Amino acid sequence: MVQDMRLIELKGVCKSFGDTHVLHDVDLYIRKCEFITLLGPSGCGKTTLLRIIGGFDMPSSGEVLFEGKDMTGIPPYKRRINTVFQKYALFNHLNVYDNIAFGLNLKTPEQLGVKTKKEKKDEIARRVGRMLKLVKMEGYEKRSTDALSGGQQQRIAIARALVNEPEVLLLDEPLGALDLKLRKEMQLELKAMQQQLGITFIYVTHDQEEALTMSDTIAVMNGGRVQQIGDPKRIYDEPKNAFVADFIGESNILDGVMLQDDLVKFSGTEFQCVDEGFGTNAPVDVVVRPEDIMIVGEDVGMLAGTVESVIFKGVHYEMMIRGEGAGESILWKVHSTTMQPVGTRVGMTIVPYNIHIMRKATTADAVPVAQAAEEEA
Amino acid sequence: MVRNNRTVRSVRAVWMTLLMLFLYAPILVMIALSFNASVSRSQWTGFTLDWYVKLFHDPAILGALRTTIEVAVIATVISTVIGTLGAIGMHAMNAGMANVLINVSYLPMTTPDIVTGVSLMLMYLFCHVPLGKWTMIMAHIAFDIPYVLFSVMPKLKQMNPNLYEAALDLGCHPVKALYKVIIPEITPGIFTGALLAFTMSLDDFVISYFTSSDMYPNLSRIVYASTKLGVKPTMYALSTLMFATILILLILVNKRTKLENL
Amino acid sequence: MKRSWYATPYALWMLLFAVVPLLFVCWYAFTTPDGAFTTANFREFAKPRYVGVILRSLKLALYCTAVCLVIGYPTAWFLAGRGFNHAQSLVVLILLPMWMNLLLRTYAMMTLLDDNGVLNAALQALGLGKIHIIGTEGAVLMGLVYNYLPFMVLPIYTVLKKMDYSVIEAAEDLGCNPLRVFTRVVIPMSVPGIVSGVTMVFMPAVTSFAISTLLSNGKLRLAGDLIDYIFNQSSNPNRWNIGSSFSLMMLVLILISIGFLRKVDPDSEGGGMW
Repeated sequence: MVQDMRLIELKGVCKSFGDTHVLHDVDLYIRKCEFITLLGPSGCGKTTLLRIIGGFDMPSSGEVLFEGKDMTGIPPYKRRINTVFQKYALFNHLNVYDNIAFGLNLKTPEQLGVKTKKEKKDEIARRVGRMLKLVKMEGYEKRSTDALSGGQQQRIAIARALVNEPEVLLLDEPLGALDLKLRKEMQLELKAMQQQLGITFIYVTHDQEEALTMSDTIAVMNGGRVQQIGDPKRIYDEPKNAFVADFIGESNILDGVMLQDDLVKFSGTEFQCVDEGFGTNAPVDVVVRPEDIMIVGEDVGMLAGTVESVIFKGVHYEMMIRGEGAGESILWKVHSTTMQPVGTRVGMTIVPYNIHIMRKATTADAVPVAQAAEEEA
Repeated sequence: MVRNNRTVRSVRAVWMTLLMLFLYAPILVMIALSFNASVSRSQWTGFTLDWYVKLFHDPAILGALRTTIEVAVIATVISTVIGTLGAIGMHAMNAGMANVLINVSYLPMTTPDIVTGVSLMLMYLFCHVPLGKWTMIMAHIAFDIPYVLFSVMPKLKQMNPNLYEAALDLGCHPVKALYKVIIPEITPGIFTGALLAFTMSLDDFVISYFTSSDMYPNLSRIVYASTKLGVKPTMYALSTLMFATILILLILVNKRTKLENL
Repeated sequence: MKRSWYATPYALWMLLFAVVPLLFVCWYAFTTPDGAFTTANFREFAKPRYVGVILRSLKLALYCTAVCLVIGYPTAWFLAGRGFNHAQSLVVLILLPMWMNLLLRTYAMMTLLDDNGVLNAALQALGLGKIHIIGTEGAVLMGLVYNYLPFMVLPIYTVLKKMDYSVIEAAEDLGCNPLRVFTRVVIPMSVPGIVSGVTMVFMPAVTSFAISTLLSNGKLRLAGDLIDYIFNQSSNPNRWNIGSSFSLMMLVLILISIGFLRKVDPDSEGGGMW
């Protein structure tokens, strides 16, 4: 479904507000019909990036291309892009129908493919009706927007944007204000809508689970830079650096030394792994997901440790296990469906392909990231 | 703050009664006297509406009434437009610039009325503008604008900042977005501001006194002039009507916004 | 067009009708009728006939502020009290006169206090005999208090209302009796409101115009009346300049008061009018 056609392309986009640099040299392209998520902690610049695509903010430098044409200076009302805002931004003085019809009313009959004003009115009614059906809000036309629940307002906001048949829909944390259950439902509905309509969605969120559920592509952002772009599975399984590993899912991140290809040493122990090309004796970050550590008998594991705490998390238990020997300073986070009481000595085993090796973030990269995070805080 | 025991409650009741008496006795006495058949200020000799009838046959008072209303209406309309646009403009500005402009509005609110009046009079006289209705209207607009501004500003701040952007996003031209989205959103504030401006305009004495002349008196000026001429029950009738009008306006304002928050 | 441009008419109007006129006052205050620089205008007020008026203004404004505080604090305290069902309507009733025409209110007061007015009629009916109050400083003081009392109640009420009741409970918990709670907790915490109220009463009282003239039958002029007199009735050829210098002095006095207020109550906790 994802065609390799670049619909929107950002080239070297920088943005600063006064002395605060919010975006550093962002390069990114978005393909037609793609569901792309900009994912990152608050203040990472993801909303600013979205606003630049929407035309609400201008980049300080760099350019934004739409189908290969520069659209940097084009105001929002001339872009074939619509936005679903964080807090819905519904017009309280208009009812549900007029909210959805707002954009269509501004168009000429010709733009709607009809000739007379009367036909325009009918055409608008037809399109609004179709949208209400899409977002499952039929029968709410005359309601005041104040009388709607958060979830319903969200649906109207989506309908109001989609009715204009944009090429691209921008969504700025649209589900942030909804409760967990409703959020999960809406995630699936949004994904279904996007596939049904074949429109490009650019979605901003700080919720990694949401990003993994919905996206074709995820761009992980931090400190005003794109850290990694890729499909959800790749991002989860092969995080490019410690930040991504830490932000996506839960991780144990350790200092290690790559002794040679396929052999890494951490926690005072040598492990087989499947990574190559780091050279010999290179310092690296080692990432192990908590669910990838298997608890085995205390004498048969590759590592040994003592359970310090246990929390029941529903599907699994989360245990903190203090390593022994050379790895004594390490506190492992382990997810397991079987519970080990506090104080138990256990053994732990990790299979080679679950050990993820990544280059240490060089100081040149790390410093500005930290700075930007501070500035934004 | 106060424990609700019996002693406190009775002390409080007495205190509040005396206070209300102090605040409202003079006004009530005046209202009563406006219906008193006698010219005396202390003896009730029967109910009459004569003073009100006389009031509406006095060409000077009718003229002043017209001037007062004309000034208030014109000043309200102009100050509402200028103040609302000003609030919208300042809302879109960077904070530093907006602060400077907002502080200009505190100027007429903090300057003593008499200094405001005198300063305007000096400027008019210096520029050889004869004092009259229009000099008064200009002055009223200047002191009305802050009331509009401070009624509209909070509404703009409460407004979801994305509303304007949503309108642009849906294809609205910025000017159109202003009256299709922003103005409807802040209409309550605009009405409150206009109502306050109208009240302030009707109510003003000191600034009008210095910026107009005896040729174009407003009602306050007529009342002031009459105080030098001894008892005139028609003035009680006039004052009663003015009190009543302003009271009604204030109740309307208070319904929209708490007076104590202004 | 950028939206910030909508503020242009506002900026121009306020500049022309609020800022420029004050510049005229400054200009006239420091010049002679020929336009030459001078500070002589300010020395006029050392003359006995003016000094008396200024001292009287200051004295009456101070008395007025003190009386308003004595009446206003308990009032605000009662109004802010818990479980006082009528507080909301009473607050409105107390504040209403604040927005009503000063001249009309004073005119009403004048009617009440007149030698042949209702007050004296009532006193006579009670067998207490007549009192002569109109035309005295007492009458003027009453008029000032009557007009400016709400300005004292409002800020103190706002501060007391916002006060966290658990603070008082904490003080009681720590062993304060009701009197100590009041002197050690309530009063210190309401200082911003008191300062705000004092300024808001003192400022208009010291610049008041017409109140004193009406209640003293024109015998006792205050600073505001003096300005009116200098501008509109005096025959002195320098009258605009002298009047301006006096207006400027009042303005400076007010600005100093506001500066003081901002320093004591920087977050305008006292719910100030500005």
